[in-house]
Amino acid sequence: MQKAKQCLLRRLREADASARLSCAVMGLGCLRHGQVAKGLLYLAAEGLFIAYMACFGGRYLAKFGTLGDTAQARVWSEELQIYQRIPGDNSMLILLYSVLSIALCVLFVVIWRMNLLSACRACERARAGEKQPSLRVEARALLDERFHVTLLSAPMVSLLLFTVLPIVFMVLIAFTNFDADHQPPGSLFTWTGMTNVTDVFLGNAVKTRTFFGIFGWTMVWAVLATFTNYIFGLLLAVVINNKLVKAKKTWRTLFIIPVAIPQFVSLLLISRALEPSGAINVALMELGWIDAPLPFLLDERLARMAVVVINMWIGIPYTMMTFSGVLMNIPSELYESAEMDGAGPVRRFFSITLPYMVFVTTPQTITTFVANINNFNVIYLLTAGGPFSLDYYQAGKTDLLVTWLYKLTVDHHDYALASTIGIFIFMLVSLCSLAVYNRSRAVRKEDMFQ
Amino acid sequence: MKMASGRRRRLSFLLHALLAALALLWMIPVFWLLLSSFRAEPGAYTPYLWPKGFTLDNYARLFTDTRLFNFPRWFGNTLLVAVCSCLITTVLTLMVAYVYSRLRFKSRRALMNASLVLGMFPGFMSMIAIYHFLKAVGLDQTLLALILVYSGGAALNYHIAKGFFDTIPKALDEAATLDGASKSVIFWRIILPNARPIVVNTAINAFIAPWCDFIFVSVIMKDNYDNYTVAKGLYTMVDKANIYDWYTAFCAAAVLIAVPIVLLFIRLQSFYVSGVTSGSVKG
Amino acid sequence: MKKVLCALLALALLGSAALAEEISLKVWGSQEDQELLAELCEAFAAEHPENEWTFTYGVVGEADAKTRYLEDPAAAADVFSYPDDQIIDLVNADALYEVTRDLDAIVAANTPGSIQAASVNGVLYGYPMTADNGYFLYYDKSVLTEEDVQTLDGILAAANAAGKQVQMDISNGWYLASFFLGNGCTLGLDEDGRQVCDFNSPAGLAAAEAVRAFCNDPAFTPGDDSFLMGAIGDSVCAGVSGTWCAEAISEKLGENYGACKLPTFTVDGEQVQMGSFLGCKILGVNTQTAHPVEAMMLAEYLTSEEAQVRRFEVRGYGPSNIAAASSEAVAADPALSALAAQSAYAISQQVLAGFWTPAEALGAEFEAHSTADLQGLLDQFVAQATEG
Repeated sequence: MQKAKQCLLRRLREADASARLSCAVMGLGCLRHGQVAKGLLYLAAEGLFIAYMACFGGRYLAKFGTLGDTAQARVWSEELQIYQRIPGDNSMLILLYSVLSIALCVLFVVIWRMNLLSACRACERARAGEKQPSLRVEARALLDERFHVTLLSAPMVSLLLFTVLPIVFMVLIAFTNFDADHQPPGSLFTWTGMTNVTDVFLGNAVKTRTFFGIFGWTMVWAVLATFTNYIFGLLLAVVINNKLVKAKKTWRTLFIIPVAIPQFVSLLLISRALEPSGAINVALMELGWIDAPLPFLLDERLARMAVVVINMWIGIPYTMMTFSGVLMNIPSELYESAEMDGAGPVRRFFSITLPYMVFVTTPQTITTFVANINNFNVIYLLTAGGPFSLDYYQAGKTDLLVTWLYKLTVDHHDYALASTIGIFIFMLVSLCSLAVYNRSRAVRKEDMFQ
Repeated sequence: MKMASGRRRRLSFLLHALLAALALLWMIPVFWLLLSSFRAEPGAYTPYLWPKGFTLDNYARLFTDTRLFNFPRWFGNTLLVAVCSCLITTVLTLMVAYVYSRLRFKSRRALMNASLVLGMFPGFMSMIAIYHFLKAVGLDQTLLALILVYSGGAALNYHIAKGFFDTIPKALDEAATLDGASKSVIFWRIILPNARPIVVNTAINAFIAPWCDFIFVSVIMKDNYDNYTVAKGLYTMVDKANIYDWYTAFCAAAVLIAVPIVLLFIRLQSFYVSGVTSGSVKG
Repeated sequence: MKKVLCALLALALLGSAALAEEISLKVWGSQEDQELLAELCEAFAAEHPENEWTFTYGVVGEADAKTRYLEDPAAAADVFSYPDDQIIDLVNADALYEVTRDLDAIVAANTPGSIQAASVNGVLYGYPMTADNGYFLYYDKSVLTEEDVQTLDGILAAANAAGKQVQMDISNGWYLASFFLGNGCTLGLDEDGRQVCDFNSPAGLAAAEAVRAFCNDPAFTPGDDSFLMGAIGDSVCAGVSGTWCAEAISEKLGENYGACKLPTFTVDGEQVQMGSFLGCKILGVNTQTAHPVEAMMLAEYLTSEEAQVRRFEVRGYGPSNIAAASSEAVAADPALSALAAQSAYAISQQVLAGFWTPAEALGAEFEAHSTADLQGLLDQFVAQATEG
């Protein structure tokens, strides 16, 4: 980095005035050397940035340090006979749009640097008597050696806007006092440093206990949910894809139909069926298998079992579908040569199918694991976290960290606490999965089957 | 040889029996839903399992009684959003997967790790921020906003597709490069046709999402009733004020939602087969 | 002569139109109330021709009002309805205009309970719209007599004799509280707006023992409103719920439809009347509105006597307006008169969000027939409910 900077500085010093002036007026260097379209693009970028800051971003960025100083005020109006409101600052919007503006500043600096590089390069080319490449030539490179830039630009922009910036925003909230008592528009919230972190982990025994209790169950759940689905989904896919099985499409469709029903409907139905007077208990009692209703949703152990089993019902068709696609694409030569060696179906499964599947699906399994840690729907719609417990702070025995966070934000508006816990989970989970991911064979030897 | 075929027949019978049993298990809630959707008696709970009467009114009502719940309109909205976000998501996901699988560049590993980590942040924590961004550009309460939100995470879900691309032999690319094809041509003409099962997979998952989400849509659409999707609309059907009257219609609506998804699956399933035949080309 | 009059009238209209200010207001209401809302707003516009009114209607049910409001106050409606249990959070966020115009008239026109529910620290923050967010007893007259339903013991005895069940959603803090409130426990807020709850007092312990006995009775069954609506008349002969079930239950029971105040229960051999919450729906005026005075006029009209009568006729909601509530039609409605009888023992719901989850946990312990030490459970519960 250091080297590149020095390099750019030196090149700038050696380049002509137009290149140096590009520091202030972007695109000048390109314009001077005949790259009109490129130069105008740079100039437009600068104009847009200045306009944004002047009209919108600057206002918010200026208050970023305090998150606003004037709250909404009340003034008695004799004429109207009401307490008129004088609008004040909205801390949340200040924080949010500051984050956006800072991101745009970073982006601008990157473009500004590109502009200087282009100016230097144009100047150097002119001195060497080379032809300046037209925009079209440079654009063509984007379809070949720089194809990754083309393909990644749209996904990355959406990622930045819909994921990265909101995350930065939420992370910052953990260092404020944004809770039920500090809600815009009535009151401001402000920076409080590490108070929230110390509160959760040192200050409050119930919250700490809740956190670790829920964290433990979240991990157990994620392991159970991921591996039951993985193993049984794979087995199901193998069975359906067996040569002896007829009407493969029909079987697959049959298993897909339950998935096609929106989860909030099927889970509502199942949750109702699990109630003491629900269909499952009624059916079991009519069959004479039980005398009294089973408390599926009231008993801690039964409820936890129920969510894992129901999750299999939901998840296995998905894994089956994915694995079917992969299974069908195992190169048939692998099997043919194994068959010639006299390998039976079981050995073929363990020596070819399984390694191949594990190879292809390891990254997917890690993401599934993470998705299960954050599996909001199944838990929230089926048990809503219940059975609730008096040992826990606003949570129940099947609550995952993510459903607990949801309740803290939606029901209690305690964004600061939720963000603090959210960041902690986030760091923990990401460190673990990064370690596993980068150690897995599929990643280290990603070219194995190519 | 005779022995073997006898064993084969037994095994085949066993496999079919197993599949039938499993399929039955999987279909029970679906039968239950169907029964409820044709049930003549209203209410979410009946003390008996088999309905006393059957009717088609629950379905008819969704299309005739649109005063309270404008089901046809919401269905249209959702279909539009689902089709658009399905197309965008599929294309974006495959693009990202291809880049990470085939192209080598400086920040590749860093980007992959970053994507992995970013995917772990619970989505609902970012809802309000997303809403205000969309509002700043005047897109709040529009269907376009929903399409953007549903396809926004595409860059994070590339793993299965990348794993798949990793198994397509490099020899194909190299041959094409020798013939003078650019990277772009290789992607569209060679990789994509060889990756149909994964296209299907990605597309179906992306298509299903808008039919199921009711949290994001509540935040984005707020009070704009006309732009609701079915999930959000249906959710209000089971409010405590509506559940008695509308529960059976709610079930009927769920059945109707399942129809396009199942149809899409049946339609796209044939691509799985072509994946098999193309296996020989790949070798 | 006629022509001249017409011309004059036309001129007057033109004149007023020229003067008319364009006022556009957004109103939130739940989906099932939209039609009525539009009808009432049109009527309001007709009564106030001095302005040109444009109304937009948003579908946000009362239960979601606070959440949707706080997500983006500027995009929220100018006039919106919310249940009284959201009032504290809304006032904390300075979301609501104080009622200062026609204050005395509004206080005089509505029941004291509804005014109390719409007030925080003595300041009225909204226009009471309904006063029916409470619960009472539904029963099947073919099983239970009017005498049976006076006491919980009587109900259980008759139900057991007939092989029927009695429903109450004990694992829901809203219903569970009725035993504790009935036995004289306190549930409210102190001056700093913190939750006060003494369910772990000796009176609370006695109430908890009564709940445990009730839950352990063979005739007791838990379950929600949907279960009650489906099962009453079949396996269930009585249940506790609110007016939103009235239509379905009266349809189901027909001639045997009965509704009355909650029964008494036994504490140390004496009969104690069960308490309850009485909640209201309130119309609030958003502090972000561009037309506060006009929004207040609209809110006042939408909660006036005639509007409340109309709301009762169309939607069956119980009025908070004294005149509307005392009309013959309202008195003839079994559910609303049962609610009115119960309201003598009801308190307004001054409960923070942190109360409900521990209350549900406590109720679940009873439903699961837990044999844990009651005092310990109650102490834990109170510690949780008053937390934060």
